[in-house]
Amino acid sequence: MENKKFKIIKKKEILKLLESLKKEYSIFVPIEDNGDARFSEFKSGQDIFWDYRNTKISPKEILFPQAETLFCFGPGAEVKAEGSTPGGKDYLIFGIRPCDAQAISLLDKVFGGEDFEDPYYLERRKKTTVISLACSKPQIDCFCTSLKGKPENEEGADIILFDLGEDVLAGAVTKKGEKFIEKQNKWFKDAGQSDVDKKDKLMDLSLNKIKSQIDIQNIKEKLDNAFNDLLWNEIHQKCLGCGICTYFCPTCHCFDITDEINPKAADSKTPEGKRVRCWDSCMYPLFTLHASGHNPRPTYKERMRQRIMHKFNYCPENFKEIFCVGCGRCIRNCPVNLDLREVLVSLMSLGSLCKDKKI
Amino acid sequence: MNNPYLPIPVTIKKITIENEARDIKTFDLVFNVKKETEKFKYTCGQFAEISMLGIGEAPIGIASSPMDEDLVQFTVKKYTTGVVTSALHNLCPGDMIGIRGPYGNGFPMKDFEGSNLVIVGGGFALTTLRSLTRYILHKKNRAYFKDITVLYGARSPGELIYKSELKQWDQRDDINVHLTVDRGDKNWKGRVGLVPNVLSEIAPRSENSIVLVCGPLIMVKYTMLPLMDLGFKPEKIFFSLEMRMKCGIGKCGRCNIGPKYVCKDGPVFTYKELQGLPQEY
Ligand SMILES: Cc1cc2nc3c(=O)[nH]c(=O)nc-3n(C[C@H](O)[C@H](O)[C@H](O)COP(=O)(O)OP(=O)(O)OC[C@H]3O[C@@H](n4cnc5c(N)ncnc54)[C@H](O)[C@@H]3O)c2cc1C
Ligand code: SF4
Ligand code: SF4
Ligand code: FES
Repeated sequence: MENKKFKIIKKKEILKLLESLKKEYSIFVPIEDNGDARFSEFKSGQDIFWDYRNTKISPKEILFPQAETLFCFGPGAEVKAEGSTPGGKDYLIFGIRPCDAQAISLLDKVFGGEDFEDPYYLERRKKTTVISLACSKPQIDCFCTSLKGKPENEEGADIILFDLGEDVLAGAVTKKGEKFIEKQNKWFKDAGQSDVDKKDKLMDLSLNKIKSQIDIQNIKEKLDNAFNDLLWNEIHQKCLGCGICTYFCPTCHCFDITDEINPKAADSKTPEGKRVRCWDSCMYPLFTLHASGHNPRPTYKERMRQRIMHKFNYCPENFKEIFCVGCGRCIRNCPVNLDLREVLVSLMSLGSLCKDKKI
Repeated sequence: MNNPYLPIPVTIKKITIENEARDIKTFDLVFNVKKETEKFKYTCGQFAEISMLGIGEAPIGIASSPMDEDLVQFTVKKYTTGVVTSALHNLCPGDMIGIRGPYGNGFPMKDFEGSNLVIVGGGFALTTLRSLTRYILHKKNRAYFKDITVLYGARSPGELIYKSELKQWDQRDDINVHLTVDRGDKNWKGRVGLVPNVLSEIAPRSENSIVLVCGPLIMVKYTMLPLMDLGFKPEKIFFSLEMRMKCGIGKCGRCNIGPKYVCKDGPVFTYKELQGLPQEY
C-alpha cells in the first residue's frame, strides 16, 4: 500500500463519472432503501449511499444471483449464453465493502477450479470490475480483523476508494483497476501527501472502532479433531434452522437445481420451462435427504456442525482459506442471536483444559 | 467455456425390468449424436446425472462396462416419493432423456491389475460392480486379473438383479459366483444367509487381494468385521458411497463427507480413506 499512486476525485464528480459509464457498464451502487442499504443498478439522478454501514443482503447476488436460469427448454425456448449480462454490458460493482470484496475472491475459488469451471459465474466475473469503498463504519458485530480483513483490505477489489468527505481517494489494486483509472484519467487528479495522511488517519480511526477481537488464528487445526466433540450438542441449541445466516453470508455458495415448468404448456407432450439454480442452505434438513429417507445430517446438531466445519475447517483444507470474512451478517440477522464469535471462541477452548492439566 | 450443466440428448433403446417388485429397471441408452458416444469415455465406478427436462436430475452409477460400445446402461430403483426415479420408470423405449457426465473418480482399475478381486454386492447396488465385473471378464482384460470371486446377496430370490448375466458368469470357470438371499422361497436352491456371514463362510484369501463392496449402508458396515478377520487391509477395501447430489461437479456444496466431495473426490473411497473422514454418510 505504501508505494501506491493515489488519485483524487471530487465526490460530486463521481456521479458524473458513473453517468458517463452507463453505456458501457451495468453499474451497481449502494442505495438507501427503507432505512437499510442495498445494492441496486445505478440510475440517472440517483444518489449513492456513501455513509452506509453495510448492506443487509450481501452483494454476492450480483455475481451469483439468488435464482438463475441455467437454460430453457421446450418449443420456443429462449437460448441464452451462460453468465450473460443485461445487454451484454460489463459489470461495475461500485462501493462494496472490503469484506464483501474479499468474499468475491473466495467465491472465485469455488466456481473456478482445476477440474470443472462454472461458466455462469465465471463469464460474469470476467466482465466485472470491483471498486470497493474502504470501511469507516464498522459495526458492533464486525470482526474482520480477527480474520484476514481490515477496513482497507484490498483483496478482491480492482480499485479501492477512501471517502475523505468532499473528496474521494482512489488507489488501483489490480492491472484491471490501473487501466480503468488510466482510461478515466480526466476525472482524477494526483493525490497529495495531505490526502494520503487524511486517509491513514481515517483508517486508524476505523480500525479502532472494531472492538470485537477474537483469537482464532489456528481454528482450522483446532477443528481437525473436533468433529465428535460433545460441544456440538450445545452449540445448536437455540438455532431454529431458518437458514438466514447462510442466505446473508457473502461466502456461502451452496445451491439447488430445480426445473420450473411453464404452467401454460403443462399439458403439452414436450415439456416447456427452464432449469434454475437457486441459493440453498446446509441448515435445512432437505439439503442432504436421500430419496430412501436416510439423512446423514438428521438434526440441527449435524447441520450447525456442517456450517461451521465447512467454513473453518473443510474450506481451509481444500482452498487454503477460511470461508468467513467477519462481516457479522449472520450475527446481526439471526433471529435468536446465535453469535458466531461465541461459537468460535468456545471451539477454540477445546482441549485447553486437558492441556493445562496434562491429562 | 464448456458448460458442464448441459445434458446431452440420448434415446432409450431398451428397458429391462430387473426384479419381482418391478421397481428396478435397466435403461439402455444411445446418444442421439454419434460423436457424443466417443466423448462419453468413462471408467468403472463413475456415475452420470440423468436428466429429464421439466422433472429434474438424479445421479446414477454407470452399469455398463467401458468395453460396451455404442450404448450406456443405468439400473435405477424407483422410489415412490422420488420425483426423477418415478418419472424415469414411466418412460418407454424410444423416449428421449439427457445425461451429463461421466463424473466421479471411479475404481482405479490399473492399480487392480495383478490382484485377486473379491466383489461383494447387496441389493440393487450391484450396478457399478456389474460394470467392473463385465470389464474384467472381457477377453481383452481377463488376463490382467487373477482370481475373481463375486458374492452377491438380496432380500429374496426375486430381488436379485441381472439374473441372466449372473447365470452366464456362473457358467464360466474363470470366476467364482456365490449368490445368497436373506429369505428363500420354494424354488430357491441356493444359499440363504446375510452377506457378511456368507463372506466369513467362503473366506476368500486376503493375500494379494482387493475387495470391492457396494450395498446398503448396514450391509457394508457389517461386512467390515469379517473382512478384518480375514486379514484384508483397509487400503485394499474399496467402497462406493452415496450422498444427495445436485451439480455432480463439486460446486453445489451438498455431497461432502468432511472435506471430501463424494461427486468429485468419490464416489469410490478405500476403507482407509473413510477411517480418516467423519462418520456422516
Ligand atoms: C454416486 C451415486 C450413484 C448412484 N447410483 C444409483 C444407481 O445406480 N441406481 C439407483 O437406482 N440409484 C442410484 N443412486 C441413488 C439415486 O441418485 C437416488 O435414488 C435418486 O437421486 C433419487 O432421485 P429422485 O428424484 O427419485 O428422488 P427425490 O427424493 O425426489 O430427490 C430429489 C433430488 O435429490 C437428489 N437425491 C435424492 N436422493 C439421492 C441419493 N440417494 N443420492 C444422490 N442424490 C439424491 C437427486 O438430485 C434427486 O433428483 C446413486 C447415488 C449416487 C450419489
Ligand atoms: S440464522 Fe440463527 S436461527 Fe437461523 S439457521 Fe442461522 S443460526 Fe440458526
Ligand atoms: S459466516 Fe457470518 S460473519 Fe462470516 S462471512 Fe458469513 S455472514 Fe459474515
Ligand atoms: S453434487 Fe454438488 S458438490 Fe457434489
